[in-house]
Amino acid sequence: MTTRRSLLQASLTLGAMHAFPGMGVAQARRLVFATFTGSWEEAHRDVLVPYFRKANNNAEITLDPMLSVDQIAKVTAARSNPPIDVMLHDPGPALTAIAQDLVEPFPVAQSKHYKDLIPEAQEPMGPAIFFQAVGITYNPDKIKTPPTSWRDLWKPEFKGRVGITNLNSTLGTGFLVEISKMFGGSEANVEPGFKAISDLKPNLAAVAANPGALATLYQQGQIDIGPGNFNAIQILKARGVPVEFVRPKEGAIAFKTTIHVVKNTPNKELAVALIEAAMAPEVQTRLMQSPYLIVPTNTKVKMEGEIAKVLARDHAELKKSFVFQDWKKINEQRAQWIERFGREIKL
Amino acid sequence: MTERLPVTVYPLRLAAPLALFMALFFLAPLVVLAIVSLYTDPQMTQWGGTQWVKMFDRFGIGVLLDTLLLGLQVTLLCLVLGYALAWTYVRMPPRLQTVVIFVVMMPLLTSVVVRTFAWIVILGRQGIVNSVLMDLSLIDAPLRLLYTRTGLVVALANVQMPLMVLPLINALQRIDPNLSDASSVLGASDWRTFYRVTMPLSLPGVVAGCLLTFAAAITAFISQSLIGGGQMLFMPMYLYQQASALSNYPFAAAISVTFLIAVLLCVSAFNVLGRMSRGYAHS
Repeated sequence: MTTRRSLLQASLTLGAMHAFPGMGVAQARRLVFATFTGSWEEAHRDVLVPYFRKANNNAEITLDPMLSVDQIAKVTAARSNPPIDVMLHDPGPALTAIAQDLVEPFPVAQSKHYKDLIPEAQEPMGPAIFFQAVGITYNPDKIKTPPTSWRDLWKPEFKGRVGITNLNSTLGTGFLVEISKMFGGSEANVEPGFKAISDLKPNLAAVAANPGALATLYQQGQIDIGPGNFNAIQILKARGVPVEFVRPKEGAIAFKTTIHVVKNTPNKELAVALIEAAMAPEVQTRLMQSPYLIVPTNTKVKMEGEIAKVLARDHAELKKSFVFQDWKKINEQRAQWIERFGREIKL
Repeated sequence: MTERLPVTVYPLRLAAPLALFMALFFLAPLVVLAIVSLYTDPQMTQWGGTQWVKMFDRFGIGVLLDTLLLGLQVTLLCLVLGYALAWTYVRMPPRLQTVVIFVVMMPLLTSVVVRTFAWIVILGRQGIVNSVLMDLSLIDAPLRLLYTRTGLVVALANVQMPLMVLPLINALQRIDPNLSDASSVLGASDWRTFYRVTMPLSLPGVVAGCLLTFAAAITAFISQSLIGGGQMLFMPMYLYQQASALSNYPFAAAISVTFLIAVLLCVSAFNVLGRMSRGYAHS
């Protein structure tokens, strides 16, 4: 029986399908690359995008910058017709994306640049196109002798001047794991790390909610020393904030930032081409220079400038001076750690 | 001629499009949320009530109660300061009133991030409060004001103040000034007049103001995380942590549903109070 209601329903559905043809089938659209927000977007827009378009017949591309976790949420919500073709991830979310079957393996065999990446960056599910390094950040106006070790944070002279973040961020979790290792723990045992943070309490002036909030605290003199991301600190420095970055003698905590082809993308060929471009020595060389200062993963790139001065002069030194962490192990227990941090670390 | 409907009665059918809209875009997602909370694992494959058990363990309850306590503290501070302000406002010359109302509205007109950063500048180690106290030699070392509970309550009270003051002004303005005159003529002291006449009559405004302030304070994610810091865990941050850092949607859904119900219960309690107070004001 055709009632007025069912007629209305049918016409609404037809109308909607007409208005949004994408509802039925994956629709042809331009390539979408979800990069990170802020300086990363700027760097990719200025360097990677022009290089990619030149190499690929002027193909259209959209940058849709967002956090790793938001990329995962968006792709999970529309697995069969993802709104993003290429994702960019920190190590923790990268493993989540792989575990949830959101990404496709990168066609390693056809790749021109993949074999030139340093072995740590060669990930078949999505190669690392740059490294992020976490070291000690300090205010040179207030701290005259540059710190040399993570242990310096516990010095009594820094009472009420140290800032850290909670474990929501890659930086906060990486820091906990690193100090755990320093005091005899590992990725599977962060007991010593929690004890160390507990001992750090007299020195703590702030536990920021995220790395961005932590960085601004140097500007306001709220904190003078703490763990910091190399790239975030360069941005502050460029704006005239008195901050310096040092690589502690234990090594800088390094995060691989990996790039992935999203499963079921309608633009697979272009997605692979974009990743190829992101690995190219020309692109990585330009991104390593000022003002971007992005740490390259391609061994054909010769280190120069601030990166050579502060982090590593070449990829051989980089391997020695960077500490990579086992995020597979970290992810297993991270939820418990986050909860424990909330319970135990009260200022 | 067709019979005219009474002008105060409208056919319910007119509300149908809105009702449909709400059902589709508001009710349906809520139902989905409730369903998601019934998965036991982040990959959403197994059904069960583990998320709810976890939500109502000692830690989860602690976070919930602490969040509601924060709301209460902010609301009380807003009420004390806001009542005094509203009281003065209705007794001011009109020209001054314009200035005061502008100042009161200011927090609503600036972005929440800007307001929050202003508070960081005020409360920081080298902030206004600390430098004044240091200059007056009242303290030797800067006090820790930022990233403390007190700092957070004060900052939230500032941000939510308009929500308290505006209903209060409205309520106080409606009170007939003759009533307090009559009360004094009959021999009541100023305090007695306030307790027996002005305050009861302004109760609907108090309840409305408290409701708005409370709801806004407990859900103020940005202010809570930037001024309270990463070591303070309130429901909005708890929820964000689970959904965003851990991709644990089922637990995040359980937290949201719990928080939603807790807020709804508080709102209904305020509503009951509001109805009672209106009855009181009329009697």
